[in-house]
Amino acid sequence: MTQPEEHTLSPFVQMVGAKIEEWREGYVRLSLVLEEKHTNPHGVSHGGVLTTLMDEALGAVIASVRGLDAMRAAPHATVEMNVSFLAGPRAGDEIVIEGRALKVGRSVAFGEAEARRRGKDDLIAKGRFTFVMQTARSG
Amino acid sequence: MVEPIRAPFAAFVGAVLEEADEGSVRLSLVTGPQHADASGRVHTGVLTTVMDSVIGIALSRLRGEGGDHRPHATIDMSTSFYAHATPGDEFVAEGSVIHLVELVAFGEVEARRRGDGELLAKARLTFAIPAARK
Repeated sequence: MTQPEEHTLSPFVQMVGAKIEEWREGYVRLSLVLEEKHTNPHGVSHGGVLTTLMDEALGAVIASVRGLDAMRAAPHATVEMNVSFLAGPRAGDEIVIEGRALKVGRSVAFGEAEARRRGKDDLIAKGRFTFVMQTARSG
Repeated sequence: MVEPIRAPFAAFVGAVLEEADEGSVRLSLVTGPQHADASGRVHTGVLTTVMDSVIGIALSRLRGEGGDHRPHATIDMSTSFYAHATPGDEFVAEGSVIHLVELVAFGEVEARRRGDGELLAKARLTFAIPAARK
């Protein structure tokens, strides 16, 4: 298994504050302790926090399967994202995001992500994502 | 008309409220290096955060005080991404509530790069509204 410290989060996710818990081929797990800054006006997690972390986890999952050389030659980009929010975690809750690859083809990849509350382990959000590998021409 | 954004996360990310009336809401954000993803483009999460807030605010405007007593929450968000923004770009997200009934509301929002107006992303959102206490 590859050690997490060999991988880094994107600048935006570093700003949001998540950390990498596990990173292996086809599977990435991130976590984040929610703070007030991650909430909406009613005190629950902003939808954008979860979509951000799911996209980060799945982008990393696809990279873990494709390898860095393939990724540099034709970076993959999210083209479709469908997320359902089942519960609203609050500041103080720790959320765990797991991303798994469903299929990584030559030009298209599919992944799904689940978010749970640590301790309760209840599903709080589920996402399905589609990525397209961009050639220099289509990028 | 500029007023602060009430959602702490949208403000933290850097969104600015440009216009909000009962018909539609417009937010904008000037992106920088802190908004980059692993490939150096603007992270999709920046766009989805701003787009989610557009509809959340539009729904608050429509619901008035009812929104404070029975706060609505996003339950589904479907987003298509057509082009990417590059850190340094400013984008504008504009959308509106297209249907609102007792317990559910639907909204549509699109994000465009300011300047050339290129369509970056489009999203459809569903919000749940808690039932009134009897």
